[in-house]
Amino acid sequence: MRTAREYGLAVCQSCGWLVQDAPARCDRCGRKVHFRNPASLQKVWAYWLAGVIAYIPGNTYPIMITKSVAGENAATIIGGVLTLIHHQSYLVAGVVFIASIVIPVSKFLVIAWLALSIQRGQATGEHTRLHAYEATEFIGRWSMVDVFVVAALAALIQLGALVSIQPGIGIQAFALSVIFTMLSANAFDARLIWDREQDKENDDDNL
Amino acid sequence: MSEFHAENPLPQSADDLNAQYIACPHCDSLYVRPRLSENEKLECTRCHSIIMTNKVRSSERTLAAMIGALILYGVAVSFPFLSMERSGLENKISVIDCISVLWTNQMYLLSIALALLIVVLPVSRILLLVQVVGTIRVNGRAGWRNARALRWAQFLEPWSMAEIFMIGVIVSLVKVGKMANITVGPSFIALTVLIVLLTWTSTAMCRSTTWAALERKQ
Ligand SMILES: [Zn+2]
Ligand SMILES: [Zn+2]
Repeated sequence: MRTAREYGLAVCQSCGWLVQDAPARCDRCGRKVHFRNPASLQKVWAYWLAGVIAYIPGNTYPIMITKSVAGENAATIIGGVLTLIHHQSYLVAGVVFIASIVIPVSKFLVIAWLALSIQRGQATGEHTRLHAYEATEFIGRWSMVDVFVVAALAALIQLGALVSIQPGIGIQAFALSVIFTMLSANAFDARLIWDREQDKENDDDNL
Repeated sequence: MSEFHAENPLPQSADDLNAQYIACPHCDSLYVRPRLSENEKLECTRCHSIIMTNKVRSSERTLAAMIGALILYGVAVSFPFLSMERSGLENKISVIDCISVLWTNQMYLLSIALALLIVVLPVSRILLLVQVVGTIRVNGRAGWRNARALRWAQFLEPWSMAEIFMIGVIVSLVKVGKMANITVGPSFIALTVLIVLLTWTSTAMCRSTTWAALERKQ
């Protein structure tokens, strides 16, 4: 299998146009075209770290504060899941648990694994890695669900002294974490998975 | 489909080059560009990604879906989607209320982010696609400015979160369903149909055909 880069061609990542004198602007859609996205892994790691850091306050600070005649109750993400289980809403508890805990954590692990495998020059499991990357890109945005739940509940439950819900500061950090992780996955150049040492002569703008 | 062979000299002009060859955006493998018949796909032999498709009536189906989506978005944003009632107190909320409640709680950044993710970016994406696909539908081709528009529409795709918002609404419905009377408003139905339309568009629209119909800046 011959790659476009071996023939001095670079593929536009927006529209698929082949460019002969990369790095240059794509003459179909105007995007900057490189053989490989420059500094791809540095960007991946920078956004990844920001995502992990924001995830911590996202989980330790309350995301929702319920005020009622019975008093005030601040719930974290995990707290919300436990309440749902307590009320036997297992399906919704499952949705929130997967969207807010399972997806973000596995995304951190998958992105770190992909970036490390490239840095170590791993030459096996390309298909698995590409599938893992595509799944991460596809699923990652769904973590936003909990942010929308909090916004909808805070808007809906406004019954004065009886009961009202306020968004907690944790949800802001959580949303930030999801956005950073999406940016991290976006910065990853999937073509790096297939690159081998011997075909890196044209690698003028990589890393 | 055949692989690229070194004996074939590369054409000098960008047009000839792109008319004869195509590369996989995921693994960079180079192929001789095939002629696809209707609904045929070109799959990369190395990484198995779909490189090129040829879907029938892509532009008219996409255009119809996008105009429908635009109308539904109007309904979804202007009317309440949920209302709750408990002990004689009633509260109706619209999409805008979900954004403004964050603002009134001093979460300005999150409020702006929400406005972008569930209203501004999805609507911009739909408008861009209407412009690109509409021009192609009317003229058969479209100028280079539309290529910029299509590029932005593609960029906006992961950041348009209408369908995720909808799941969030359903989750909150279940969460409070036991403590109050919840009624769904017209906007709830509009949002549901909208999600179906947007999902369907992503399978009906043919990126390769759309890109091929766009002229380049000379
Ligand atoms: Zn391009
Ligand atoms: Zn490929």
